[in-house]
Amino acid sequence: MSRLVIAPLLVVVTTAVLTLALGRRPRVQRATSVAGAVGYVGTVSVAVWALVLGETAPGAAVYQVGDWPAPFGITLVLDGLSAFMLTIAAGVGLASILFSVRYVTPENQRVYYHPLFHMLLAGVTGAFLTGDLFNLFVWFEVMLVASYVFVAFYGTDHATAASFRYLVMNVFGSALMLVAVGGLYATTGTLNMADMARRLATPDAYGIDPAPVVGLSALLLAVFALKAGLVPFQFWVPAAYTAAPAPVTAMLAGVTKKVGIYAIVRLYFTVFAAATIPVDVAGLTGTSPLDFLAPVLGAMGVASILVGGFGAIGRDRLGGVFAYSSIGQVGFIAIPVAIAAAADPTGALRGVAIAAALVFALHHALAKGLLFLSVGAVEDATKTDRLRDLGGLAGHSPVLSGAVFVGLCSLIGLPPLTGFFGKFLAFDAAIRGLASDSGLLSALALVALLLGAALTILYATRVWVGGFWGRETAAVEVASVESGQVTVLVALAAAVVLVGVGFDPIYRFAETAATAALDGEAYVDIVGLNGGDGA
Amino acid sequence: MTVPIVLVVSISLFLQGHNLPGGGFIGGVLTTAAFVLIYVAYNLDFLESGVLGREVETGTSIFEHRTVTAYRRMLLAGLVVVLGSGFGGMIIGDPFLTQGYVHLDGIPIYHEVELASALVFDLGVYLVVVGSLLTIVSVVSGE
Amino acid sequence: MSVALAVAVGGLFAVGTFLLLQRDLVRVVFGVAVVSQATFVYLIAMGGIDEGTQDLVPVLAVHGGGVPEIADPVVQALVLTAIVISFGTTALALVLSYRAYEENETMDVTEWTK
Repeated sequence: MSRLVIAPLLVVVTTAVLTLALGRRPRVQRATSVAGAVGYVGTVSVAVWALVLGETAPGAAVYQVGDWPAPFGITLVLDGLSAFMLTIAAGVGLASILFSVRYVTPENQRVYYHPLFHMLLAGVTGAFLTGDLFNLFVWFEVMLVASYVFVAFYGTDHATAASFRYLVMNVFGSALMLVAVGGLYATTGTLNMADMARRLATPDAYGIDPAPVVGLSALLLAVFALKAGLVPFQFWVPAAYTAAPAPVTAMLAGVTKKVGIYAIVRLYFTVFAAATIPVDVAGLTGTSPLDFLAPVLGAMGVASILVGGFGAIGRDRLGGVFAYSSIGQVGFIAIPVAIAAAADPTGALRGVAIAAALVFALHHALAKGLLFLSVGAVEDATKTDRLRDLGGLAGHSPVLSGAVFVGLCSLIGLPPLTGFFGKFLAFDAAIRGLASDSGLLSALALVALLLGAALTILYATRVWVGGFWGRETAAVEVASVESGQVTVLVALAAAVVLVGVGFDPIYRFAETAATAALDGEAYVDIVGLNGGDGA
Repeated sequence: MTVPIVLVVSISLFLQGHNLPGGGFIGGVLTTAAFVLIYVAYNLDFLESGVLGREVETGTSIFEHRTVTAYRRMLLAGLVVVLGSGFGGMIIGDPFLTQGYVHLDGIPIYHEVELASALVFDLGVYLVVVGSLLTIVSVVSGE
Repeated sequence: MSVALAVAVGGLFAVGTFLLLQRDLVRVVFGVAVVSQATFVYLIAMGGIDEGTQDLVPVLAVHGGGVPEIADPVVQALVLTAIVISFGTTALALVLSYRAYEENETMDVTEWTK
C-alpha cells in the first residue's frame, strides 16, 4: 500500500481546482498550471521508478481509496502496464501544456482552459490507475466531458457541430459500456477487476456461469474501439481533431486514444483471459474470449490502416492529414494486440506482440503529439494549414521544419527514431504470428501492415514536399514563428530521437508492461482481495 | 411561501444523508429547485433586488452578474472542501478519502449525536451541486 | 417484476434510439437523455430485486415488521453516480445544441453545412 500510487491523481486534481480558483489572475494561473504539469511528471517518474522499475521496486503496488478493502472499495493499481501508459501521458501532457501557454490566446486561456486541461489529464490518469470496472467508466466520463468542451472550444459552426456529434456518439457508447458493466456485475457478482479475474478463473468455486462474458466483452470492445477511433467507429475523429485547439488534439491523439487501447489490453488479457468459455459466434469458435477478440480486432485494425492511409492521402489540410493518419496508426497498434490474442497463451509470442503494441503506442504518442503541435505552430505563423497555401517552410523556418521532419521520419519508420522500432516490432510480431499460424487472417494482417507502411510514406512525403519544400508562398513569406512554441517542438523531436537511440531500456520497460498485462494471477495477488472471499 | 419550506426540507435531507436517504447531491438539487422557483415566479434580477435589497447592475453580461459570480465561488468552495476532506484523513496517516465518525453523548435535547466526517465531504458536494446548477440555470436562461 | 423491467428497458431503448436518429437537434438531446435513463433501469434490473429482511434494511421496515422489496444497493450507488454524470452531459448537450443553432441557424442536423 503506497501513497505514491494515488499521488499523480491528487497532483492533477489539485492543480485543476487551483487553476479554477486563480481564474482572475491569468499569470499566476498559467504558472500554477505549468507547475502542476511539472509536478505531475515528477510524481509519475518517482512512482514508476520506486514501484515498478527501480532496483528495489516491488514491481507493482496497490492503494485502497478510503481504506475500504478490495473488492468492496475502489482500488487503484500501479503495475507495469499502468506505469507505461502513465509515462506516455506525463510526457505528452507536459509538452502540450507548455505549448498551450505560448499558443492559446491569453483571453482563451482564461476561459477554463487550464482547469479543463488538467481534468482531461485526471480522467486519463484515473483510467490508467483504477482497478474497478465502474470506476473506469467514471474516469472515461471525466475525460470525455473535458474533451467535449475542448472540441467546441472555439465556438465556430464547425466546432460546435463536431462536438455535438462527438458527444452523441460517446453518450451512446457510455450507455453501452454501462450495459456491459451491469451485465458483468450480474454475471460475476463483482466489479473489481482482480476479483472478476479470480472468479472467472474458477467459476465453479463461486457458483457463476461465465457464458455471457463473451457477449458482454464484445460490447466493451465496441465502446473501447469507439474511444480509440478504430474503424468502423472512426467517424468522429477527423472533425473533432481539426476542431480542438492544437495542444488538446495532441493530447486527444497521443493519450486519450491510448486509453481505449489500454482498456482493451487490460480487460481482455488481464481479466477475461482467465476464463474458459466455449465461443461459437458467427463462425468463430474457441474456448476463450480472446478467440473472439483476435479476428474481430484484427479486422478492425486492417480496416483502420486502409481507411486512415487512403483518407490521409486525400486531405488538403495538415490537420486533416494527421487526423486520418492517426486512425491508421491505431490500426498498427490494434494488429499486434490481435496477434497476441491469437497466439498460444503459454508461448513467447503473446508477450512480444503486446510489447510491440505498447512501443507503437509510445511512438505514436510522441510523433503525433509533435506533429499536431507543429500544425498548431504552422497555423499560428501562417494563418493557414492548407497544403495548397503552404510551401517553402523549410527555407523560411528551418528549426520548425526540422522538428516536423523528425516527426514525419518517425512516422515512416526510419532508424534510429522511435517509429522504426514501433514498426519493426509490429512487423516482427506479424511475421511470427504468420509462422505459428499460417491462416488467412495472419497473412492479411501482414499485407495490411505493408500497405499501411507504404501509404504512410506516401502521405508523409506529400506533406513534406507540399508544405515545406518548394518556393515560399505568400502566406509563408509573412509568417513569423513563435520561438517558445518551437522550443517545445524541438524538445519533443529530441525525445523521439533519444527514445530511438537509447531504445534498450524502453524496450525492457515495455516488456515489463506486457508481462504485467498478461499475468492475471499476479494482478490478483497484488490487489490482495482480503475483503470477502467466496460468493 | 413554498420556498422556505423547500429550503428547510433540502437542508434536513442534506443532514440526514449519512444514515438515511438523502445527502449532499439530493439536498443540493432541492435547494436549487427552490431558487429556480423564485426565478420562474419572478425573474433573474428578483433575487438581488427583491430578496437581498441591492441595486441590480445593468448592462453587464450574464457571466459578470453578481449572483452568477457568487454561484461560481460557491462551486469553487465546494471543490476545495471536497479535496480538503479527502486530504484530511491523509494527515493522520489514513488513505485518501477515509472517513470516520464519533458518538457524542450528553448533549442537551438531542442526548446523543453522531458526528460523521463524511458530512464535510457531503457539504462539499452540496456546495458544488448548488453552485454549478445555479450557474447553469441562470446563465442558460439569461442567454 | 423482472418482466416489467425488461419491457421498460426495451421500450426506453427503442424510444431513445428512435429519438437519436431524428433530424431535429432537440429530439436528439432527448434521445441522449432517454438512452441514459434506459441504462439506469437496466442496471437496477441487473442487480436483482429481492425480498427485504429486517436485518438487511432496518430503515425501510414499516410498522408490523413488513419490509418492502429492495434492489441491490451496489447498483443503486452505480445508478446514482451515472445519473449525475448523465445529468452533466445532458446539460452540456443542451447548451451545445443551442450554440449549434446559433451558429448554423437551423435545428435540422441534415442542413448543417460542415
